[in-house]
Amino acid sequence: MSVPLSHVLIVASLMFAMGLGCVVAWRANVIMMLIGIEIMLNAVMLTFVGGSAHWGIADGQLFALMLMALTSAEVSLALAMVVYLHRRKQTVNTDNFDSMKG
Amino acid sequence: MTLADLYSIMPIIITAGAALVVLLCGPMLLSASLTAIGVTASAAAGVWAALSTPTSTPAVAGLAFTPLARFLIPLFCFAAAITLLLSHSYNERRGIKGEEFPATVLFALFATCVLPCATNMLILFLALESVSFAFYILVSMDLSRAESGEAGLKYLLLGAVAAAFTAFGFALLFTGSGTLQLSGALARPENRAIISAGWGVILVGMAFKLSLVPGHLWTPDVYQGAPAPVSAYLSTSSKVAAAALLLMLLGLSPPMPELRVPLAALSVLSMVLGNLAALRQQNIKRMLAYSSVAHMGYLALALLSGSRDGYAAVLLYGAVYTAMNLAAFGAISSLSVEEERELITDYAGLGFTAPLRGGVLALAMISLAGIPPAAGFIGKFFIFYSAIKGGAITLAIIGILSAAASAHFYLKVVAQLYMHRGEAPAPRPVSLAEGLALCLASLMILVIGVYPGPLLGAIEAALH
Repeated sequence: MSVPLSHVLIVASLMFAMGLGCVVAWRANVIMMLIGIEIMLNAVMLTFVGGSAHWGIADGQLFALMLMALTSAEVSLALAMVVYLHRRKQTVNTDNFDSMKG
Repeated sequence: MTLADLYSIMPIIITAGAALVVLLCGPMLLSASLTAIGVTASAAAGVWAALSTPTSTPAVAGLAFTPLARFLIPLFCFAAAITLLLSHSYNERRGIKGEEFPATVLFALFATCVLPCATNMLILFLALESVSFAFYILVSMDLSRAESGEAGLKYLLLGAVAAAFTAFGFALLFTGSGTLQLSGALARPENRAIISAGWGVILVGMAFKLSLVPGHLWTPDVYQGAPAPVSAYLSTSSKVAAAALLLMLLGLSPPMPELRVPLAALSVLSMVLGNLAALRQQNIKRMLAYSSVAHMGYLALALLSGSRDGYAAVLLYGAVYTAMNLAAFGAISSLSVEEERELITDYAGLGFTAPLRGGVLALAMISLAGIPPAAGFIGKFFIFYSAIKGGAITLAIIGILSAAASAHFYLKVVAQLYMHRGEAPAPRPVSLAEGLALCLASLMILVIGVYPGPLLGAIEAALH
């Protein structure tokens, strides 16, 4: 493989950290949090594909494909919930979802 | 694939089939018959799993009916059956209609049954996430309460972040070991840094799923927002499933030395902060949520000891905790009128006006506090015993002290039930299904507490 494994891992870790940063920094907006989670999962897929290429087996690519299916299921569920809550509260701002405290 | 292979994964087929049947036939049948189908299927799957002999050869690619599965599948089926029995009258009172509820409970049961059968990380991860997906839906099922949808969204967002962490951990384990088999998680000399990084990231993800401090923030909101039977199911099956995932990845060997400090920190923080936060809760479901944080801290302590005794204590505590929380949330669900009784003071005097349910709630609280002869004592005893034997004496002492302090808020509920007279609205008469579910759960608490021998034997067999 022309790209060394360590480079793939560094890029993937940076992407993962950026996705996590997006989730933490944009805590106010549900949509931005979902985008951050997407970026984190893309970093995971990159790691799997890189590992697959390093070892010369397809298992990691299979995992990455399954992750895509899983991610789309997750996002559709999340968006359904966002639409439902938006109808109730007219907002996607998480600060307004504060009916429970303690 | 032979007929024997099919037989060995029959519990999975039964639950999947029942979920599809409930979903497809839902519009034609009464909700009572849907619940009956669900309960029958879970009971059948549980009995089948308990009676068949485990093998280690995979029946289909990635699925084998392992000894661990033989122990855990009946436990998951028990929890699902109790949840379905409890939810029927609860859903009628709260106006939760449709076949989605029993079908989603059965889908969650299917995923929890797949999890202990997994022989590679792909199936393991997919099963874990399918469990979470089903619970995201179940938590937000109550459309008439604003808290329910809100709790669902919070659980989903934090759960998705946790899933990303877990997946990243699996990716690092795969990259480090070059295999997706569960043995890839074991320590090996080459690529040790990548594998221990993978374990660290998995631990972060699992801290969310097991609600260990600092990943516990979603727990109180989700338990409070979810319908009470769902809280019962969520607090038992999903936690036991996450603990089982860690056990399967560890593969009966002690955790890597790098993991000891993070695990110890998670365990101590959860035990201490969970119990302290529970002390000041007025809402009974939030109190139980923080208590579940503390109980998962005890579980992490047993994992830390890394011995066979410790892992046996994890499985025993999983079974004990399932029985206790099903009884506690079951009583809460059954005592609800139009609204749930939220505050602990709302339970004043119910020990006299509703003797069965008050008694079950009191028994669950006594067991959670770890007072013999209830099962909670046996569970805590084995955890602290294995921790002390494993050398974690300081942690065990902190755990025992915090467990002693926790008796205060559990017994507060018992005192409200029997020593106060309340003006709270009288509960409805208990329905047959609820009575059966509560009796089964409290019977399990008492049997494990008084006569734990058979269960310990089953756990011994599960760890071979």
